[in-house]
Amino acid sequence: MDRMRAKFAILVAFSMATPAFADRLSFRNDVLPVLGKAGCSNGSCHAKSGGQNGFQLSVFAYDPAADYRNIVRGARGRRIFPAAPEESLLLLKATQSIDHEGGKRFDKDSEFYRMIHKWISQGAPWNSEKEISLMRIEVSPSSGQYKRKGETSLKVTAHYSDKSKRDVTHLSEYQSNDQALAEVDHHGHVTMGNQFGEGVVIVRYMDKVEVARVAIPTETLLPESAYAKLTVNNEIDRKVYDRHKQLGLLVSDLASDSEFIRRASLDTLGKLPEPERVRKFLASKHPKKREYLIDELLDDRDWADHWATSFGDLVRPNTLRVGVKGVYLMDRWLRRKLRDNAPYDQIVREILTATGSTHMHGPTVLMRDKRVPADAGAFTSRIFLGVRLECAQCHHHPSEKWGQEDYYQLAAFFGSMKRKGQGISTPISGEPEYWYWQAGGTVKHPVSGEVMKPKPPDGPFIDVPKDQDPRAALVDWMVDPENPFFARALVNRLWGKFFGVGIVEPVDDFRASNPPTNEPLLDWLAKDFKKHKYDLKRTMRVIMNSRIYQTSSVANKTNVGDERNYARSIRRRLGAEAMSDAVTRVTGMPDTLEGLAKGTRAMMTWNTKMRSVFLDTFGRPDSSAECPCERDPSPTIIQSLHLMNSDKLEARIVSGSGRAVNLAKSERKPEEIADEIYLSAYSRFPTADEKKIVLAAYDAKDASREKVTQDLIWALINTPEFVLNH
Amino acid sequence: MSILKRNCAGMARRDFLQVGLASIGGLTMTDIVRLKAEKAKAAGKSAKDIRCILVWLDGGPTHYETFDPKPDAPDGIRGEYGTIKTSVPGVHFSEYLPKLAKSFNRYTVIRSIAHRQNNHGAGNHYMMTGRPTPVPVGCGAFVTFHPSIGSVVAWDRGIKDGMPSYVSLERMSRSGGPNFLGAQYAPFVISESPNSKSFRVRDVSIPESIVGARAENRRELRKSLDNLQRINDRVANDPAVTMDEFYQQGYQLVYSEKAQTAFDISKEPEKTREKYGKNNFGQRLLLARRMTEVGVPFVTVYNGGWDDHSDLFKNLKKRDLPELDQGMAALMTDLAERGTLDNTLVVCLGEFGRTPKINKNGGRDHWSFAMSVMMGGAGIPGGQIVGATDVKGYYANENVYAPEDFAASIYTKLGIDHAQVLHTPAGRPVQLIDKGRLIKELFV
Repeated sequence: MDRMRAKFAILVAFSMATPAFADRLSFRNDVLPVLGKAGCSNGSCHAKSGGQNGFQLSVFAYDPAADYRNIVRGARGRRIFPAAPEESLLLLKATQSIDHEGGKRFDKDSEFYRMIHKWISQGAPWNSEKEISLMRIEVSPSSGQYKRKGETSLKVTAHYSDKSKRDVTHLSEYQSNDQALAEVDHHGHVTMGNQFGEGVVIVRYMDKVEVARVAIPTETLLPESAYAKLTVNNEIDRKVYDRHKQLGLLVSDLASDSEFIRRASLDTLGKLPEPERVRKFLASKHPKKREYLIDELLDDRDWADHWATSFGDLVRPNTLRVGVKGVYLMDRWLRRKLRDNAPYDQIVREILTATGSTHMHGPTVLMRDKRVPADAGAFTSRIFLGVRLECAQCHHHPSEKWGQEDYYQLAAFFGSMKRKGQGISTPISGEPEYWYWQAGGTVKHPVSGEVMKPKPPDGPFIDVPKDQDPRAALVDWMVDPENPFFARALVNRLWGKFFGVGIVEPVDDFRASNPPTNEPLLDWLAKDFKKHKYDLKRTMRVIMNSRIYQTSSVANKTNVGDERNYARSIRRRLGAEAMSDAVTRVTGMPDTLEGLAKGTRAMMTWNTKMRSVFLDTFGRPDSSAECPCERDPSPTIIQSLHLMNSDKLEARIVSGSGRAVNLAKSERKPEEIADEIYLSAYSRFPTADEKKIVLAAYDAKDASREKVTQDLIWALINTPEFVLNH
Repeated sequence: MSILKRNCAGMARRDFLQVGLASIGGLTMTDIVRLKAEKAKAAGKSAKDIRCILVWLDGGPTHYETFDPKPDAPDGIRGEYGTIKTSVPGVHFSEYLPKLAKSFNRYTVIRSIAHRQNNHGAGNHYMMTGRPTPVPVGCGAFVTFHPSIGSVVAWDRGIKDGMPSYVSLERMSRSGGPNFLGAQYAPFVISESPNSKSFRVRDVSIPESIVGARAENRRELRKSLDNLQRINDRVANDPAVTMDEFYQQGYQLVYSEKAQTAFDISKEPEKTREKYGKNNFGQRLLLARRMTEVGVPFVTVYNGGWDDHSDLFKNLKKRDLPELDQGMAALMTDLAERGTLDNTLVVCLGEFGRTPKINKNGGRDHWSFAMSVMMGGAGIPGGQIVGATDVKGYYANENVYAPEDFAASIYTKLGIDHAQVLHTPAGRPVQLIDKGRLIKELFV
């Protein structure tokens, strides 16, 4: 008590001596922003979990009360010293007047120093006389058009509950989403790069996030006539060309029939087209043959298996965590749903409202995996809404509006799920678990302890009747035609599969600071998807019939530097399963897959823990990771070495029952053999030059028909034309 | 995209991971000056030439029956094995490590690493990455929340001359993956045993059946038939161009005599092969030595079967201990004799130690409060014991070190800043090792 009085006395004396310090500062509105901007509450410094050297702050100041406690009362009060503010540990450390691992954060002669000094000298108040709340921030210019190498300075204004405003430009943090397009410095000064395009600068002040859009329009727009003769197959083409016109891009040539059938087959079925199918397609003169082929592919029985692999990446948990049987049942269930072409909303509803035994009903295994309500909520959001809320589990999302409330309100939909049974008992979780809904059970906010009412992100609070599973209410909200996320997330995911890059990329990261490259296109696709009752095949059909999908991967002058506007087809490596099955097609010999019947195709596998050098080499999702949903698509040298030198692959090429030996034994002429191999590997006939080279190899002195055929297969497998979907 | 990154201490390094919002505080002039100084310092050091062989004894090897015997402990704790003098007076190992005892002058044993992750999944993760799992995980779990030491080294050193930069022999350890660093830093796994007559390191040499003229034919044929049009402009990011580089590197590798000799363990004199032990483990150690010698920066040798919950005394002396003893002693001696011990860091450990009390099945259970770790080479003194456990072997109680300290020390030996902040693709800042202190006895 005495100490308090002493502090107060000094404070009074001090402020009387220097009238300029009369306004009482607010910890929340004045001090925390300084600590944020100075980097003290950086996620890798004092705001990391456990703090740094015993001093902990919350990330993005999401917990001001704790921060206040730690500064004012922590370390036995040594951090601040109102009697002699300059002797406060907080200032000594930050100015590196004494040893500080984090280095000097600001100078003694700086606004930041004076601010903290003043606050300490006032006795480190929590509140100002009239404490106000930060309502929003405003960035200007919020959008602008610039020239290459152009510059602009952003201004950030904070708006408070009492309608007052404050310039917080010097206290905000800035980040450009594309450094090559625009760079932004510590002070909000933006410098454009040397290329054209659009980007955003993300601005954060405390827990508020805004974006400033920058556009550098091309200096060489093409005349309208350049677009006049382009084929328009459907609305997709119109929407994409509209963007091209704004950006000065021109779509590349139409892909050849061979390129088209190979790409279409890989994208819809995950397999190379059969040589017979290719021959027939190439020979056809029908003007609608591409349209017919698309119908044919979408009706192929492999369609369900390919997309089960694709969706399976998202919903098949780690077998070593939840048990092999449950994952197997989930996989079977998913394949059946797809085989029936079940509408997407129905598939998702069945997954998210699953109940019962994990040894009877596939989808329940997901409940077993995401057994904590918060995990189930975050999973639902990321996978089905395209919104990554995970950050908000512990702190406010760094570049979005999502806070902890959003995270735990969503979790609340899963709060009354109950279970019986073995639980998680790795490595096998051999016994079943039973999941059911029963009223009761709540989710609490981890900081405030408040019981959370179920509310989806950006949605309304939902009053769920006491006798109803809240998960059903969540799904009702998701599949409502007005829902802003659900359909967009899915069509974007599909677009990513067919074009190698999403309209929003990463495909599950929708946020204001990561805008779609073509908003009208995304809107239209989502609307069309909803209009057609969430029919997956319908959306695929529309995409594939567009002229844009059928574009060559060879760049022209206008689009060589562009990978986000679909003016050329983006080349991408075949996924692990498709690659494995492609090699099988060309060599005629399947890979042996552990524990599966001989001849099983890789697209039928469902357990990423199954050992396979080949599949590991070409990248499977890592189901040991928190979100196994991603596959790394980059080519690696390990892959090249494997295709070049693998003894196992060599054995498949030279096998006595393989394609090479069979072709060599047959009556076929060398050029017929070449045709067959080219059709199966590249979906095209060899060119005249290529034919000459191949025939020369067969005609060489001492050439063995068998060996040349094997060598030809090896050679084609080892080219980018084989490894890439182009 | 190449960007500057800072850690808490203001140091910086260039790399190619995405930067996150939390790190956008710009660089001040002081930072840049410091950065330059750091760079100069790093260039002068040869730490970037040091390679590492990590021997992983999966399951958690007992400290009692290896490097930390407790002959004075009561019945029921002491165990059935005797002790043996080492080359350093006063230091005793288990009687089943006679060769390691004799060559103790080549390495250090740390008896005081301890943590609190008492199951395999979590223990593996902690020791293999230097970070505890952020959530409790099951015993049998294979989990990854953070890049393994091997993946970080691969990422730091990059791929040179087509040589894999992180090799794992027999299999990847449970948490030995790259996590957010990406698939290209996953270990190159060689599961076949170099002890088998037909052994070849997979994928790095031309198959024997086609070696010579036929391989040349194939190479020519491939070249003349590789006609997919390349988009050579760098901004196009054409993966076909990337693949061209890989094929070029691949050919460099298969035609490099030095590399090919290293992969061919049959080139090793029979006498040396016998010294390591003609068993899977011994020959893997030898292969690891040969690979690190030609520039593979990180090789893990996985050796399972140390989870002796029952019949420990019967089992260990049969195979595990004799093979470990022979192999590791041979490796240390061989490296020293070849003059490469100074640039090779050898580390041997598992995820934890084992319980003092012998259970009713004659085994010991999981015990993370004390474990022994062997470390040698790369300037680590020989014949040194670091830390100690109490007289019954329950707890590390002298110079106790955490897994973070262990990992930080390895990174420092390999010239990697252990306090640096990496960013996940989502932009989240992650400190490579959180609160790592160097194990000072390794840096004298």
